[in-house]
Amino acid sequence: MSHPKTAHVVDARYLEPPEPFVQTMEMLDTLKPGERMLLLLFREPHPLYKVLRQNGYTYETELVADGTYEILIWR
Amino acid sequence: MQALLSFDKAPPFAAPLRFFLTAPLFALAAGLLLLALGPDMFASRWMPGLLAATHLITVGFMLQVMLGALIQILPVVTGANLGNPLAVSRWLHVGLSAGALLLAAGFLLGQPPLLSAAALTLGLSIAAFLGATGRALSGVPSTSPTIRGLKFALFGLAGAVALGVLLALALARGWAVPLPLLTDLHAGWALGGWAGILLAAMAYVVVPMFQLTPGYPARPSWWFPRVMLGLVLAWTLAVLVESPLALRLVQGLSALAGIAFALLTLRLQMQRRRARTDATHRYWQLGLGSAIFALFLPLTAAAWPPLADLPGWSLSFGILLLVGGFMSFIVGMLYKIVPFLAWLHMQNCSSGQAPAPNMNRILPEADMQRQVRVHALAVALLLAAAVWPEWLARPAGAALALASGWLFYNLLGAVSRYRRHIKENNPA
Repeated sequence: MSHPKTAHVVDARYLEPPEPFVQTMEMLDTLKPGERMLLLLFREPHPLYKVLRQNGYTYETELVADGTYEILIWR
Repeated sequence: MQALLSFDKAPPFAAPLRFFLTAPLFALAAGLLLLALGPDMFASRWMPGLLAATHLITVGFMLQVMLGALIQILPVVTGANLGNPLAVSRWLHVGLSAGALLLAAGFLLGQPPLLSAAALTLGLSIAAFLGATGRALSGVPSTSPTIRGLKFALFGLAGAVALGVLLALALARGWAVPLPLLTDLHAGWALGGWAGILLAAMAYVVVPMFQLTPGYPARPSWWFPRVMLGLVLAWTLAVLVESPLALRLVQGLSALAGIAFALLTLRLQMQRRRARTDATHRYWQLGLGSAIFALFLPLTAAAWPPLADLPGWSLSFGILLLVGGFMSFIVGMLYKIVPFLAWLHMQNCSSGQAPAPNMNRILPEADMQRQVRVHALAVALLLAAAVWPEWLARPAGAALALASGWLFYNLLGAVSRYRRHIKENNPA
């Protein structure tokens, strides 16, 4: 799946926890330097934010009209 | 679920559990009270027994679970951390339980000192809770409708409790205040400004997560808490300026806002991707249906006020909104939260020994489904009793007691399976 913001997308909107977390971690491992990934969810993942901060990642969240949180993550 | 509840800052199981296990006992007490007092309790909305039962449900059941659950999930839905969750939950639990008992006893026995003590106990413990959560949330930006909703809801709780304390003291000391107007306003703050906004803020997260529905659209999610809080503030103003017309208008609009939220949630549930209809889904369907019917009553009464004087009118509203609506949403969520927390803490304690059992073995689905049916029966009987109290008040009380006792039994079963597992795997 691709998205205007990046080609690396985890669409976790209809996945049951902990799948969104697991798939995000897996994709972060595959990113090359300078690449960004996008996580799509119907909630703000505060526990994930904490893990990202601890591991030196930066993120930017946008809530779009249909209720999807688009979380762009990079290092 | 895991993302919602398991977090390294998540409080120990004992913190929320005390609230979840005590709450059903208060609903059980409300059922037993109706069984004991019978049809007299339904003679008017001002009957001491009915006021006692209402607060056993709203403070003893609803508020217990709501605040207990908030202590658990505050870090996960907002990123904020309560200073010492176990200590907060200890004194809050004592304050709420004692306060609910004192309040119910004060109404029932008509004892001013008990009402004053209830006002003091509940006022102080909830103010301290608001202080603790306010400190945790200060500096947390409202980046989502859930966080903003939560902040607004806590403001609504402060308003509801302030009015409740005022009313209890006015009753105890014989102050000359317009009791019916202030009672309606107290209910508006408690059910719209607090419980309604809190429910919406939590639903934004848990409905898509528990039931695999689409998300709530962003615009109405941002607006609902704002509109609801604005309406209860306008309601307060209408009481202060003594404008019956403005009062009818804000009451009608508040009901309309609630109906719109319930209809939106129903629409999302129709698009869910989980095929299985579990107990939580059934509870939410019962809750949404009841809430929509409940809110149609004040909506039509706002258009044509004589309707509200029909026998059983305001009683039906209370039964549908509290027992049919809020209790159903709350039990539906408890049936997800309690087995998950038990499983999670078993998992954390197992370290290399016997793994935690499947969640369905901690709290079997069949047990929950049977209890849902009894709760639905209690709602139906209570409603019928509002019309034919002579025949049905006592059976309705028995059904509410049975449903609440069964809920307690189901939750206790999950907890004892948890304790057995911990004991077997940590013999020391």
